[in-house]
Order: sequence, then structure tokens, then C-alpha cells
Amino acid sequence: MYNKFFQTTEFYLIVIISLLFLTIGSQNSAFFSINNMFDLIRSGIVPGIFVVCALIVLVSGGIDVSFPAIAAFSMFTTTTILSEAGFNGPIIVPFLIGGAIGFILGIINAVFIALFKLPTLIVTLGTSSLFSGFLLTFIGSSQISNLPTSMLNFSKMQILKFTDETGIVVGLPISVLVTAGIVILVSLLLKYTMIGRSIYAFGGDPASAERVGFSPVFIQFFVYSFVGMLSGIAGIMHTSMMRNSNPVDLMGSELLIIAAVVLGGTRISGGHGTIKGALLGLLLVITIQNSLILMGIPSYWQRFVIGALILIGTGLTAVQVKKTNAKRKSILT
Amino acid sequence: MKKASYSILSMLLILTLILAACGNNGEEQVTGEEKDGDGKYKIATVVKLTGVAWFDRLEEGIEKFGEDTGHETFMQGPQKADAALQVQIIEDLIAQKVDAITVVPFSAEALEPVLKKARDKGIVVITHEADGMKNTDFNIEAFDNYEYGAFLMDNLAEAMGEEGEYMTTVGSLTTQSHIQWEEGGYKRQLEKYPNMKAVARKLETNDDLKTASEKFRETIKAYPNLKGFQGSSGNDAAGAALAVEEMGLNGKVSVVGTSVPSVSKQYLESGAMSQIGFWDPADAGYVMNKLAEMVLDGKKEEIKEGADLGVPGYENIKVVDGKYIFGSAWVGVGKENASDYNF
Repeated sequence: MYNKFFQTTEFYLIVIISLLFLTIGSQNSAFFSINNMFDLIRSGIVPGIFVVCALIVLVSGGIDVSFPAIAAFSMFTTTTILSEAGFNGPIIVPFLIGGAIGFILGIINAVFIALFKLPTLIVTLGTSSLFSGFLLTFIGSSQISNLPTSMLNFSKMQILKFTDETGIVVGLPISVLVTAGIVILVSLLLKYTMIGRSIYAFGGDPASAERVGFSPVFIQFFVYSFVGMLSGIAGIMHTSMMRNSNPVDLMGSELLIIAAVVLGGTRISGGHGTIKGALLGLLLVITIQNSLILMGIPSYWQRFVIGALILIGTGLTAVQVKKTNAKRKSILT
Repeated sequence: MKKASYSILSMLLILTLILAACGNNGEEQVTGEEKDGDGKYKIATVVKLTGVAWFDRLEEGIEKFGEDTGHETFMQGPQKADAALQVQIIEDLIAQKVDAITVVPFSAEALEPVLKKARDKGIVVITHEADGMKNTDFNIEAFDNYEYGAFLMDNLAEAMGEEGEYMTTVGSLTTQSHIQWEEGGYKRQLEKYPNMKAVARKLETNDDLKTASEKFRETIKAYPNLKGFQGSSGNDAAGAALAVEEMGLNGKVSVVGTSVPSVSKQYLESGAMSQIGFWDPADAGYVMNKLAEMVLDGKKEEIKEGADLGVPGYENIKVVDGKYIFGSAWVGVGKENASDYNF
């Protein structure tokens, strides 16, 4: 049991993150302040949901790059509808609308993937551009700054709020609870429910999964619509946290998210990966991203570091694919 | 086979005739391609990014120019800030044989080859926010970038009481104008405000509100005495102001930067942001198209030092090296006049 734990990616990640924390902390003691820890969590609120999305899809044996587009589409369409209707109701309404729009867009992905059996990367690359283009052409292209009151209030609510010795108000946005809820829910779903286990089974070996009685069409419809819904919710959280709805926000964040999930031990070939690992991968990425100024690294170098991060993340992916291919070959011969 | 191609050819000819007749009130020559002196031009404007308030406003100026003059004017731009996508759009426009392309480059270097190609094909090229660009007929700036940066710095210094630590951001390290504003501001601070100190300079925000907000949060942890923020991209100052407000630092940290009133109004009113500077992008769009028209009309000689382009802020232009034009069209907006602008 213990020996096994020491061999997992999670274990190595914890070691790397601890070393990273110690290194940054030794450069600047402000790193270990509660303020900084809260800021790290705050940066991870929306990416945290994206990581869950990317994980589910990777486990099912696919790859999804359309979740930022779905999030942007849901959030901007929702805020456009609500601000034009002069909406004044509770915060749950934007979440429901955003989630529903995301769900529908996810279904579109699923139709191409499950029914037409097209490669997931190609489908989601296509729909990503399609959703974004549709959004800017037909829904609107200018930022919306006057959000409904309930969304503004939601962004101003903080938990664990206090004022530190330098007079800075420290607190976590309430939206962190939504992310925490989603993370727990999906962990339980993946671990203890039949549908959760079937996603792993299908990702590991689609043919065997089908033979034992799982329906691939149902699994893929579930995966992509569920992920679409989560993306929609993430979009609403992003827009209310920023107090501004910008239709070009979030786009381009997919690479770093997928890199984080892969760093967390999820196999790109499917069937393997944990939420715990994915979140640790995200923590690593966010810590590096948000500590370059603290470490006094000049801005030109910051680009370099982020680039190296993506390279290592995606490089690991490529190595994995090669390894699994080699393994499959050795079984066949 | 031959018959078919003849009929297609004749149909095309008829179509061209009809189109040309509609476009030119039936009086112009009907070849369609060649425009003479008082013909109508097709002028395309390519911006860095669509979907931001800034370029939406610029589009208003372009449309107004089209209405005022009757030329066909339109705007295009990528959905994400990416130089390669801008190159693609310009390639398409060259293939469409527009008469002039006016462009706000995301990265000046990346566009040089494609703009050279456009000019080789006889298309007039006008750039904006790309001082020093080689392959352009004229580059127009709303103002001298260093002077504008200094103007922002004066505002920041006033808000900070001329002392304390401050930070600066740029949208991207490859955006020349942002770098020049930043350097103009920094130089002014060194010359005029010895009690101020830049602790973090030219942090990259990718024109993204969330990133700007995070950079501010991180910098104030590294430098707890931070008192000021000068932003460059349209979202930098708003991002910093969001963090200032959330951290309860209103009045303790002063935020200035380039932004538009619609985005910044809530922070100007709450006091999280002191002052924003900008130039009216609608005027910039209008004047770019105006320049394109003047060049197409063969009035290139009239564009010289002290000329009046007939647009506010561009009544007395400065021209450097024969093709780099500067206006003096900046606007400063604070709490009191934020409601005067609708963009």
C-alpha cells in the first residue's frame, strides 16, 4: 500500500511542489503568507473547473480543446440576455442559464464524436472556433460592464475575510465553494458510480467496455454534455469574478490546462487519471505562474518560464503516447 | 466545352457590368477594376482584436467615414490577439483586391512581409500604433507615444503625491506602443519625480483583465509599499482596480492607465482608479481612412508638417521622416467626466 503510493505521479508531484514552495519561500517570505495562499487558490477557481473538465474527457480516451470556447459562449450569451432583460433576480438564474447553454453546446460535440465517430481533437478544435465565431458574429462583440446586481454581489462576497497587518483585506471569493463542490461531486461520481467507472472502462479499452455491456454512445454523450455544463458554470463564475463579460476572455487557456492535467498523471491515451493528481498539476502550474514576480524574475524571463512549462507539460504527453504505442506493439508480437 | 466556357464568361461579364453600373451610378467606366480620380474606394481596416470596446468604437469612426464619403469601408480582426491571424486576414484582403488597407498591428515585425506584398500589388497601406514600420505609406499615431506615457505619469504622480513605489504593465512585450508609453512614463518619473520608484516594470498582462489583476496582487506582496500602478493595455488598469477594490486599498494605491470609460467607470466612481487616458479610437479610425483616401486621390504631398486632417486632435500634425505622423489627440478622464463618453 505505502510502496505503491511512493510510485504514483501524485507522490512525485507533492515532492516537486514542496521543493518549489521551499525555493520560492526562501527567496521571498511573503510567499507563505495567508494572503498569498489565498491568491493562489483564487487564481485556481475557474481553472479548477476546467481541469476537472479536461480530466473527464482525457479519462474517457478523448481530448477536448473546446471548453474555453463553451465557457466564453455561455457566459457572454447569458450576460447579454440578462442585461437586455433588465434581470434583477437571484444568482442561481445566471448559473442555470449558463449551465444549460454549456450543456447544449456539449451535446453538439457529442453528436459529432459519438454518432459520427470523428476524432475528438478535430471535432473540438472545429467547434471551438465555430462557437467563438458564432458568438462574436451573432450575439455580440463588445464587453459588457454593467452586470446584473446579483452577479456583482456574488463577486463581492468573500469567505474567511480579515484585514492583515498591512491593511490589506484578505479573503476568498465565495465562488471557491462552487469549485470545491464540483470537485467533490465529480470525484465521487468517477469513483463510486457505474457511469463514473464506465468512463474509465471505455477510456481504457472501448471494445472491451462495449462487450461487457456499456454503451459507448451513452458514455460519450454523458461525458461531453456534462463537461459542457461544467464549462458553462465556469464561464459564469469567471464573468462575475471579473465584473465584466468579455467574449474573447478565456480563449487560449486550454493548452496550459491540459498540460496541468497531464502533469498530474492522467494518461492521454485514456482510462487513467485522478482528480487529485490533476489538481496537484494545476497547483504546480499556478504556483509557477504566480510567483515569478515574487522571485524577482524580470518580465522577459517570465515568458520563457511559461513557455518551458507548456513544453514540459505537452512533452510528457508525447512521451506517454509513444510509450503506450510501444507497449501495445509488444503485446501484439 | 468551349460553348460552356463562353457562356460562363459572358455571364461574368454581364454581372460585372451590372455591379459596376450599380456602384458607379452608370456614369463611370465599366471595367470595374480600375478606379479613376473621383471613384469610390474599398478601404479595409484590420484591428488587433474584435470584441473589445476599444475597437468597437474604432469601427464607429470607420463607418462614419464611409457614410461621409460614400467609400466602402469595413473593419476586420481576429478573435484572439495573434499576429499570425492578422497576417491571414491581410492575405485575404489582398486577394480581394481592396484599394487600401489600414491596420493596427498586434506585432509590427510580423506584418512587415505581408504589408510589403500588399504595397507591391499597389494597395495603399496605412498603419496605426506602429511607429517605425517600414512597409507602410503612412503610420499615424494619435500622439507621440513617449509624450503620452509622460502624460499618464504626470497623472499618476499627482494621485500619489509625487512619492512612493509604483509598477507598470504592458499588454505584450512585443507591442511597441505599450513599451514606448511605459518608457515615456518611466523617463518622466526619473526627470521630474525623484521621490518615486519603479519596483516592477513592463509586466505582461496579455491584454487580459484576470492576468492584470493577478499581477497586481502578486506585485503588492513582493513590494508591500506599492502606491501606484500604470497600465498600458485597455484591460490593465481595470484589472488592477478590481484587485485594489477587493483588497480594500481604495485611496492607498493609485491606478492610472489606458482604458475606455465604459469599462473603467465603475472603478473611477468607487475611487479604486484615479484617472484613465485614451485617445478616441473613432477619430483614429476616421483619420486612418482619411489618410488612405488622400493617398489614393494622389494628394500625398499635402500630408506634411502642420497639416490639418480635419479631425479633432489631428489639426496640426507632426511628421517625422516623411511618413510617421503624430497628432496630439489624448484625452484624460477622471471621476467627474467619465459619463461624457459612451464607449
